[in-house]
Amino acid sequence: MSFEIPIGPQHPALKEPISLRMTVEGEVITNADIRLGYNHRGIEKVAEEKNWTQNIYLAERICGICSHSHATCYVQGVEKLMELQPPRRGLYIRYLVSELERVHSHLLWLGVAGHEAGFDSFFMYVWRDREIVMDLLEMITGNRVHYAINAIGGVRRDLDAGQKAKVLEGVATLKKRSEYYLNLGGTEPSFVARIAGVGRLSRELAIALCATGPTARASGVARDVRKEDPYAVYDELDFEICTADTCDVLGRVVVRIKELLESYKMIEQMVRNLPAGDIACKAPRKAKPGEVVSRYEAPRGENIHYIRANGTDRPERLKVRAPTLGNYPATVEMLKKGFIADIPLIFAAIDPCICCAERAVALIDARGGETAVVRMSDLRRQAIARHLNAPVKGNAAWPL
Amino acid sequence: MSDTEIVERLKGDLGARALEIANPDRRRIFLKVAPADLVAAVTLLRDRYDCAFLSTISGLDAGEAFEVLYHFASPVTTIHVRTATPRSDPRLPSICAVIPGAVLYEREIQEMFGIVVDGIPDGRRLNLPDDWPDGVFPMRKDWKHVRPEEVIPGGKP
Repeated sequence: MSFEIPIGPQHPALKEPISLRMTVEGEVITNADIRLGYNHRGIEKVAEEKNWTQNIYLAERICGICSHSHATCYVQGVEKLMELQPPRRGLYIRYLVSELERVHSHLLWLGVAGHEAGFDSFFMYVWRDREIVMDLLEMITGNRVHYAINAIGGVRRDLDAGQKAKVLEGVATLKKRSEYYLNLGGTEPSFVARIAGVGRLSRELAIALCATGPTARASGVARDVRKEDPYAVYDELDFEICTADTCDVLGRVVVRIKELLESYKMIEQMVRNLPAGDIACKAPRKAKPGEVVSRYEAPRGENIHYIRANGTDRPERLKVRAPTLGNYPATVEMLKKGFIADIPLIFAAIDPCICCAERAVALIDARGGETAVVRMSDLRRQAIARHLNAPVKGNAAWPL
Repeated sequence: MSDTEIVERLKGDLGARALEIANPDRRRIFLKVAPADLVAAVTLLRDRYDCAFLSTISGLDAGEAFEVLYHFASPVTTIHVRTATPRSDPRLPSICAVIPGAVLYEREIQEMFGIVVDGIPDGRRLNLPDDWPDGVFPMRKDWKHVRPEEVIPGGKP
């Protein structure tokens, strides 16, 4: 017999409102369903009533962690529609903030992953170091979360020599620490044993379900917009796509730490080769009729904006697809045939309290549903049947 | 392979089924097909052009018709398949049999624009609340949000 456990949208253990319905048999998840919309704000509809400049700040508020991603994706599309050529210095500063944001987002995720795996000292170390990059972002942009550095045609703030030196200094510290975490995350036995083999997503499924970002890259799909469709400055930078082929949570941790190291490389290149000149050019108030597709590699994966202009100062349509939506079908597959105890790990930022949510009072056969006293032979028969339907969990491998 | 080569190959493969092919920018190819040819075109893109990755599906209310764009990406370019369906009877075939990852996007255009997706494996609502009235589609241009007047319980009338 299977039970359906509702988790969320309002749940003491959830950090963000999302509604999950887990169908479980004993401790094994047989089906998972995601219901969205609790936090739906109708931003695409609102965008049609605001002008091009106001929409930068609207796009920035789509997400609180990768806020710069949405604003940049929107702005680079609008610049194409208006046929603007932003100055090189402005672009370098804009994508410098992008990479710093990726660093802060990956460090945040890494800490949460450590916390969900029960490795809280890892979480505290990582979040302590995240403050370095948060301070750098505040120094460059003036804000810690919504940076608001983008303008149509460039950026709003310049970078001076002292700030450049501070960025390089901060990145050097972070680089040393991240190498230590890569070593720790890949070799600390209890941490590896907890995350290896959990939340499997095969390469074929990742491709079929259109997974994106580190989720796809951890399944061996080398898909990265920065390489495939290099926008703005990325064809001038030297970096690699980081992949792993373990297809599990361990792979996702390793991919993210390696991406941190690549981001430090890019930040150093951008700061050292920062061109001289203006940081912004003047933008017109209206855009000619036309359409543009803008793609951007956000920390969580590909971010895509489709913008249609009708000749006025407002967009005819602004379609936004954030990377997490693209990863939901894959997440459902990862949860299936897993353990309840792995939900927080697989869902990473979500920490649902399953055992409090559903608790049986009588002794109930999980398949038949009858309340009864069972004989040893029955138990043995059921144990064999259960073994045949055992959840898929790979053995802990030592990939590093 | 460059964009011009892909455009030429698409013209050869699709023939008269390609109603319009444009390449306005580097790595941006816009292809227009009729809804009846959509599944065939998507299958072709997946099998012969390495376009198995669907970024998203965008809908647009263009007055008499709804325009729908399927944004595909391959390692070398992006192909955006455009199709249109009349407002009086908006219908599109589902591409989930070819691209299983399309289901959430199809659910979204179904509830936001009222386009009926034939053969969708899961036709439930995605974002709108359960008590949302039937036949009201918020992303259509004729739908306007009216903020309900705020009533403070126990406040002055």
